[in-house]
Amino acid sequence: MSLLKVENVTMRFGGVAAVEDVSLSVDQGEMLGFIGPNGAGKTTLMRIITGVLRPQTGRVLFRGEDVTRWPVDRRIRAGLALAQQIVKPLASLSLVDNVALAAGAHRMVSPLAALLRTDRETERAKAGALLDFVGLGDALSMMPTELPLGDLKRLEVARALALEPVLLLLDEPLAGLNQGEARAMADLIATLAGKHRGIVLIEHNVREVSRICPRIYVQDNGRGLVDGRADEVLASPELRRAYLGEELA
Amino acid sequence: MAYEITVLTTMAISILFALSLNVITGFCGQVSLGHAAFYGIGAYTAALLTKSGIPLALALLPAAAAAGAVGFVVGMASLRVRDDFLAITTMGVAFLFVGFVRKQEMLGGEIGISGIPSVAFGRPGLLALSLLCTALFVLLTVHIRRSWMGFAFDSVADDEDTARILGIDVPRFKLWAFVIGTAGAGVAGGLYAHHIRFIGPDSFGFLESITALVMVIVGGIGSIWGVALVAAILSVLPLFLQFVDDYKLLLYGVLVFATVRYAPGGVAGLARTLAMRIRR
Amino acid sequence: MLLLDLGLQGLVQGAIYALIALGLTLVYGLLRILHVAHAALFTLGGYVGVIVTNGTGSLPLAILLAMVSVGVIGIGVYRFCYRPLLNRSPLVALIASIGLFIAAEEIYRLVFGPYGLSFVTPPLQTQVEVFPGVFLSHARLLVVGLSVVIIGILAWLSGSTRTGVAWRATVSDPDIAASFGINIEKVRYLNFFIGSALAALAGVMVALLNNLVEPTMGAVPAYKALAIIVLGGLGSVRGTLVASLALGVIESFGTIYIGHLLDRDAIAFAFLVLVLMVRPRGLLSRG
Repeated sequence: MSLLKVENVTMRFGGVAAVEDVSLSVDQGEMLGFIGPNGAGKTTLMRIITGVLRPQTGRVLFRGEDVTRWPVDRRIRAGLALAQQIVKPLASLSLVDNVALAAGAHRMVSPLAALLRTDRETERAKAGALLDFVGLGDALSMMPTELPLGDLKRLEVARALALEPVLLLLDEPLAGLNQGEARAMADLIATLAGKHRGIVLIEHNVREVSRICPRIYVQDNGRGLVDGRADEVLASPELRRAYLGEELA
Repeated sequence: MAYEITVLTTMAISILFALSLNVITGFCGQVSLGHAAFYGIGAYTAALLTKSGIPLALALLPAAAAAGAVGFVVGMASLRVRDDFLAITTMGVAFLFVGFVRKQEMLGGEIGISGIPSVAFGRPGLLALSLLCTALFVLLTVHIRRSWMGFAFDSVADDEDTARILGIDVPRFKLWAFVIGTAGAGVAGGLYAHHIRFIGPDSFGFLESITALVMVIVGGIGSIWGVALVAAILSVLPLFLQFVDDYKLLLYGVLVFATVRYAPGGVAGLARTLAMRIRR
Repeated sequence: MLLLDLGLQGLVQGAIYALIALGLTLVYGLLRILHVAHAALFTLGGYVGVIVTNGTGSLPLAILLAMVSVGVIGIGVYRFCYRPLLNRSPLVALIASIGLFIAAEEIYRLVFGPYGLSFVTPPLQTQVEVFPGVFLSHARLLVVGLSVVIIGILAWLSGSTRTGVAWRATVSDPDIAASFGINIEKVRYLNFFIGSALAALAGVMVALLNNLVEPTMGAVPAYKALAIIVLGGLGSVRGTLVASLALGVIESFGTIYIGHLLDRDAIAFAFLVLVLMVRPRGLLSRG
C-alpha cells in the first residue's frame, strides 16, 4: 500500500511557483532519496507534506486519508515525523527531555490526560535508548546549546524516531556535516528503514544518497524531473542537466 | 492585629493574581497585557452575587467560571493571532472591559460598586478564604509543572512550531492555559472586591495588568516561588514606603527593565545562580 | 453637517495617530520590536514644545527643537535599551519597552510636576469656516497640513534618494538588505531619529489642540498606536496610514452612535479585536 501520495501539488509565492504540479508516492518500507539543486523547491514540498504550508492546488494523502487540510500536529500524531534541515531543539529542555517529550506525544492528545499524568520515567528511558542509538548516549542531561551542529542533527533524528513514525522525513540531515560525519549519519539512516516504515531522505549530498537509497526522485525548478531506480536516475541525462554547473560527485 | 490581617490578605490575593498570569505567560509563553480584565470580571461577578445574598465562598465559583469563559474566548483569539498580535489583542480586551463597565448602569458605571458586604467571620474569615484559595492554586500550578501538561507548555513556550512537529496539539494547550489562568484571576478578583469592599472601572485598568506582568517577569518567568515572593513583596511595599506608593510605576519600570536587561531569569534565576556559586 | 463635522474631526485625530504610528511601524519593520516607549517620546515632544514656545514665543522654533532633540533621544533609546536585547525574544524587548515607558511617565511627573503645563498664550486658536457651518481651528488645520506635507516628503525621500531606497529595503527585509551591503546600523539610527521626531511633532500638535501637556498624555496614544500598527499589518507603512485614518474616523462616529455602550478607547479596541478576528494579519492583508 502506498503510504504517502502527493497529487498534482502546486505552491506559489507571490506568482512564483516554488512547486508546480508535483506528484510523488512513497510505499511502506521504502527508502526514497529526494535530490535537486538549490532552489529546486525540496523544502517547500517537504513543508507541504508536513502541513506547514498549504498548497494552492493538489492534495496530500497519508495512509489513504486526505490530510491536505490537517494541521501539522495532527499529521504527526497520525504517524508522520520530520527531522528538519535547520535544527530546532527546544533550547530550554535537556536532550533527554527533548526526546522524551516526543516519545510521550501520543499520550498528550488531551490536555486533561496530560494534566493527570506526572510520570516521565518510561519516556525518559525510551529517550535514553534512542539517544544512545544515534550516538548521544553520554550527553543525556546536556542542554542543546552546549552541543555542536553535528550532534544536534542527531538529536533531530532521535526526536523524530521517538514519535515512532510510519513515514520519516529527513530534510538534509547531512548538510553542514564533514565527510566522515556525513558518512556515519548516512549509515545510521540506512538502518532506520524497516518493514513498515517509509523514509524520504532529502539531500544535497548525492554521493551518500545514491549509496543508501534504492530509489531516487529528482526535482528541479519546482518540477519533478526523474523518479526511478537509483542507478538509472544517476545515469539519466535529465539529472546531468539539472546539476549542470554544479559538481556531481 | 487588624493591620497584619490586611497586609496578609493583600499579599495572598496578589500572589494568586500573579500566579494566575504565570500560567499563561510563564508556563505557556503567551504574553497577556490585559490580565486585569479577568481580575475585574471575577470582582464584578462576585460582588454582584454577594450583594444579592450569596456567600463569597460560593460566589467565587461563578466568578472563576465567568472569567474563565471570557478567557476561553480570548484564548480562541490567541489561536488566530500570535506573538506580537496576541499581546496587543489582550491589551485591547482589557480596554474593552473597562470601557464596557464604565457605560453599564447595572455595574455602577463610572461610580462602580460600593457597599460590598463583608465575609462570614469578617476580616479573619476573608484572610482564611484568601489563603485557602491561594494555597490551592499554588498546589495546582506545582502539579501542572510536574505533569505532562507542564511539559507540553514548556515546548509551546519554547517554540510553537517545533512543539507542533513533535505532535503537540498547540492550540488546545494554549486554550487550557488561558482558561486556568483567567479563572484563577477571577477568583483573585472576587477576593479583592471583598477585601477593598469597593470596585470601579479604574480598579482594573492597564496599570493592574502591568503590575501582574511585572511580578511575573521580576519573579522569574515560570517560577512559582519566585513570582509568589515578588508578588508578596511588591503588593505590600507601598504600605510601608511612601515613596514606593507615590512612584510605583517608576519602581516597576526600572525593575522590569533591569530584570530583562541584566537578570533575565528574574529573582528565581538569581537565586539559582547564587545557589550554584555557594555549592562550588 | 454633523456627518461632515464628525468626519473632519476623525481625520484630524487620524492624522495625529498617523504621525505617532509611523515611527512605531518603522521600528517594527526594522527590529520586530513593539516600541511602547515611543509614546514617552511623544509626551516629551509635547513638553519641549510648550516650554520652548513659552520661553521664546516662537512655535516654529519650538516644533523644530522638539523634533531634533527628541529624535536624538530616540537614537539613545535604541542604542542603550534595544540594541543589547536584539538577539533575545522580541517579547523581551516589548516588556523592557513597557518598563521604560511607565518609568518615563513617572520621571516626567517628577521633573515637570504632576499637573501638566499649558501655553501662556495658546497659538493658532482662531476658528475658520472650512465648509458652510463647519469650523476648524488653525491648529487643527496645521495638524492635517503638516501631516500631509511630512508624510509626503518622507514618501518622496524614500522613493527617490539612495538613503531612502536603502531604508525601505531594510525595513521590508533587513537580512536581504544587509547582504546587499547596506549599513543596517546606520539605517536603524536614521529610523529612530525620524520616527521619534515624528512622535515629538505629534506631541506638540496634541499640546496645541488640548492646550495641555501632562505626564500621562502618552498612555492612550501608546496603546492606540500599537493597535493601529497591528491593524495596519505590522511593518506596513501604507497599512499604518490607512489604519490611522480609519481609526480616527471610526472613533469619532462611534462616540456619537455607540457612545452609550462603550467609551472612546473601548470602541477603538473593539474595532481592533473585530478586525483581527476576521483578518488576523491586519486590514490590508490578503485573507
